[in-house]
Amino acid sequence: MQLTRHIIAAIFVFCCFFVTPMHLVAAPEEEYIIISKTGSDSIALALNQLDVKGVGSGKVANSLDVIIRDALDFPGLFTILSSQVTVEEKSGINFSALGSIQAEVYARGAVASTAGNVTLDMKVYSVGTAKLLFSKTYVGKENKLRTIGHAFCADLVEHLTGSRSVFGSKIVFVSNSTGFKEIYQCDFDGKNVEQLTNSRSISLTPALSPDGKYLAYTDYSTGRPVLYIRNLLNGKTASSGKSGISIDPAWRNGRELATTLSFEGDQEIYLLKIDGSIYRRLTKSRGIDLSPTFSPDGNKMAYVSERNGQPQIFIQELLSDEARRVTFNGDYNTQPSWSPAGDKIAYTTCENSGEFNIFTVGADGTGLRQLTAQSGQNESPSWSPDGEMVVFTSNRDGKKRLYTMSSTGKSQRALFRMNGEQAQPFWSLFRK
Amino acid sequence: MKKFNGVFVLPLLVIAGCSSDAALTSTGSQVVPVPLAVAPAFLTPPPAPAAVAVTPAPPAPDKDSQPQSGYGFDQWQKGPLGDVFFAFDSSALSDKAQELLAKNAAWFGRNPSKSARVEGHCDSRGTSEYNIALGERRSTGVKEYLVRLGVASTRLETVSFGEERPFDSGKNSEAMANNRRAHFIVK
Repeated sequence: MQLTRHIIAAIFVFCCFFVTPMHLVAAPEEEYIIISKTGSDSIALALNQLDVKGVGSGKVANSLDVIIRDALDFPGLFTILSSQVTVEEKSGINFSALGSIQAEVYARGAVASTAGNVTLDMKVYSVGTAKLLFSKTYVGKENKLRTIGHAFCADLVEHLTGSRSVFGSKIVFVSNSTGFKEIYQCDFDGKNVEQLTNSRSISLTPALSPDGKYLAYTDYSTGRPVLYIRNLLNGKTASSGKSGISIDPAWRNGRELATTLSFEGDQEIYLLKIDGSIYRRLTKSRGIDLSPTFSPDGNKMAYVSERNGQPQIFIQELLSDEARRVTFNGDYNTQPSWSPAGDKIAYTTCENSGEFNIFTVGADGTGLRQLTAQSGQNESPSWSPDGEMVVFTSNRDGKKRLYTMSSTGKSQRALFRMNGEQAQPFWSLFRK
Repeated sequence: MKKFNGVFVLPLLVIAGCSSDAALTSTGSQVVPVPLAVAPAFLTPPPAPAAVAVTPAPPAPDKDSQPQSGYGFDQWQKGPLGDVFFAFDSSALSDKAQELLAKNAAWFGRNPSKSARVEGHCDSRGTSEYNIALGERRSTGVKEYLVRLGVASTRLETVSFGEERPFDSGKNSEAMANNRRAHFIVK
């Protein structure tokens, strides 16, 4: 009886995962398992309540339980089965019971907490094969329970899908909650909101470098919009130092970023080094060129160009400088964001009704898909590092706030509640 | 650069201000410089009305210190330099905008020691990054037009606020139109 335990299983909905050969090449020693069944787009995960090891560990175990469940629920990758079955028996794990509730993956663990040091032992099984998928021990301080729990969640998702997860990533954004627009950051799930700038002017368009070390943003402290590149470790800040505007930066890699400058008269996109010096001019068309975003390999740039009289999204090859237009629906397409897998571009369309909505289109210009509709003004899409989610702004409840949704527009929900309005979210690739 | 002389332009401006839109032709959204060589016609103030003859006549009213109305002037711009307005997603100068900028150019001619800041503003409909770029085109377009009318470029400073500093907090189309402007601040 002491070995008998009730589990609460849970069902999550998730979007199809594909294990590409690239992942297998990248880590040939890893074994990846495609979990989704034919005709199903979800992983059914049975997550056992964490076992408590030692007196005084119960509270920590309960906290970790909640952290892990909330985190695994967030990306919408899984589906929790609501029935209860007896899984842990004297003879071992009852895989047929798990199979009877359609569970595909089973995870269990134990927590020990001594003098502020926490040890989490996790084991994950494939129900279908009754085999251990992986086993790992996580160690950390009691005040870092989220970090410990999310490290397991990241391993679980990466094991099951071969893809990078959202766990540990940050979202930077703009909020006017102090009365001034300042830059803030929060965890992937909207927790731990932290103010990054205090310029008391107008701070806009934040972008974190892929390694998380630098924050690029535009700020009006000097009376005009100037790009700043701040080292988040030592606070040292560089700027473009050019006349005119310098706005809307995007990182090409950890050492280069692109931004729009107008010191030569027209608004063109330039590649800058981390010290703010110009490395190369990228666009040469009359009119506004704006909002760069790079393909994962850094060889292509999508951006907004007004060269035909109205803002449309173009893709330019950086080697040849050849550009082609990829958006043809609507007269006003802006705010492109290139997906981490490289296949899609999310962007904002002004529809004929005057409503702004988010669409995705293949990098080859095919496969147009509308993600938001009839829910206020929806703008500023930015992909999660695993490419499964998009963060964006919406004023569907009156005030402009941050929302997340799946890459196909499902599961739209507010990220958090905060005073004032929030805008221009950017989901960083960086993970702790 | 050739210095601008406001005295020579003023008559045209008065005429332009009184004439109907049909009297002025323009080629669509193209920027059309106003011709500068116009003979001076009237600089005399109107005669004082008889009713005020009891007290000494006040000095001739200073055109630049009087509250102004009509295109370019509203609760957010009382003068001396009027603001100009734009269509959605456009930095093209309309006929009315060009007429007003000619008046502003004349003011610069009468006030050679003054300079001004031109702020580019947009309504909240477009996306905010794009609006900073658009606001810059509005402010620099206005500056370039004034420079072509003879105002020294060093007397005009530009800045774009995009949709960040709206004048009218309303959400209707009138409020949107009020916020699509190049706003003058005399320095």
